Amino acid sequence: MMNLFTWLEGSAFSTWVREAPTIWAFSTILTLHTFGMGVLVGASGLLDLRLLGIGRTMPLGPLESLYRIMWAGFWLNLVTGSMLFAADATSRGTQWLFFVKMLFVITGIVTMVLIRRQVYGARTEPITVPASVRGLAALSLVAWVAAITAGRLLAYVN
Amino acid sequence: MPYMNLPHLHLLMNHVPTVGTVVALGLFLLGMARRNEHLRHAALEVFFLIALATLPVYLTGVAAQLEIQGRPDVSRPAIAAHHDAALLAFILIMLTGFVSWLALWQFRRHGRSSSASIGGVLLLAVLSLAVVGPAASVGGEIRHPEIKQDEKAIAPAGWVSAAAVQDLVTTKPWVWPTAETLHFIGLSLLFGILFAINLRLLGGFRGISYASMHRMLPWGMLGFGVNLITGMLFFIAAPEQYTANAPFLWKIICLMIAGADLLYLTVFDKIWALEPGDDAATLDKAIAATAIVAWVGVIYWGRMLPFLGNAF
Repeated sequence: MMNLFTWLEGSAFSTWVREAPTIWAFSTILTLHTFGMGVLVGASGLLDLRLLGIGRTMPLGPLESLYRIMWAGFWLNLVTGSMLFAADATSRGTQWLFFVKMLFVITGIVTMVLIRRQVYGARTEPITVPASVRGLAALSLVAWVAAITAGRLLAYVN
Repeated sequence: MPYMNLPHLHLLMNHVPTVGTVVALGLFLLGMARRNEHLRHAALEVFFLIALATLPVYLTGVAAQLEIQGRPDVSRPAIAAHHDAALLAFILIMLTGFVSWLALWQFRRHGRSSSASIGGVLLLAVLSLAVVGPAASVGGEIRHPEIKQDEKAIAPAGWVSAAAVQDLVTTKPWVWPTAETLHFIGLSLLFGILFAINLRLLGGFRGISYASMHRMLPWGMLGFGVNLITGMLFFIAAPEQYTANAPFLWKIICLMIAGADLLYLTVFDKIWALEPGDDAATLDKAIAATAIVAWVGVIYWGRMLPFLGNAF
């Protein structure tokens, strides 16, 4: 595994991401990653708040298009996150905090998919919120907050 | 263009919080005495705009402090006393702006503002005035010999100390990472809510009335509040990293535009009337697009601070 990380970090692409003396490499990728976070967590958080009972007058049907926004944020961050990982593979790949972050990101995404299935799966109008969805919505908020916390703290631990 | 720097900008704008608070409080009291709701709302809107304008006044003030505090012809104790008094005034004016916004939002949603928020605005505005006046006065003593008092007469403000805040953030190793984490959580909350509401005006979520989406605005404002507080902690702790940093100025300009949008989304009648299926007018779409661009700008310039500027 370590060999793989060493090879990845030493590749021309990773070196470019890490060391290119241009704002279009590391800094822009990191900024896009931050932007993707705002898009994904923001859209997911809005739906979670609605499912937890805030702004009940918002009909759930039209909010399904939030998923397009969430997936856009997700793919942006999967791509930019992979680039950032490749640039520092040997350190990120050996940090337990990084894997904690991944665990919470996966929890967030799985929760997101489960919520869609439970809320929008039946295709009945008007859409009602099953009690179990509230638990998932709360879990989603906790997972995103934890993922952001772990991600942010990665900048301060070596 | 004539040469202009941040201390210059501070001198240009530094009467806005004082004069603005006097005017807005006057309007507010007049509106209460005449039982005129429109007048009272105008006062609340002015309180919010004054709060928004006070942000660059404070930031440029710190830039001016860094610029002149080493000079022999200025009074260092006066600068420190001015900064502490200005910080307290800044906090009170911001709180007045937040509560004013809440009162306007409540009126929009429920047809009336709660007496707690109206009383809160009144109390905070009076406190702001009590603090901002002396803050401005001691600011004048820094450079105006005609009003300069004995240096010993310049008492430190006592309640709030910028140096103590700086000390807390720089010496306790957990404060900065904690504030950064909260800043990113606040960013997600703020951006998610405001992106969605502005997207409604641009034609997304068309099946939802604007009034229903307006319900979520305070959550966006909560994110704004968290990020204002944590952002100010960074700024006070390491001001020289920001004041000499062009991306930070761009961030603040974007922030002012995005902040004005928070008022627009709360009080404008035309967008409030949008029922499910309704399309916003072209001008409102243009404002919504501008607001989204401004928020993206805030994130961009903020995140790029260490790379485009000299910070960190």
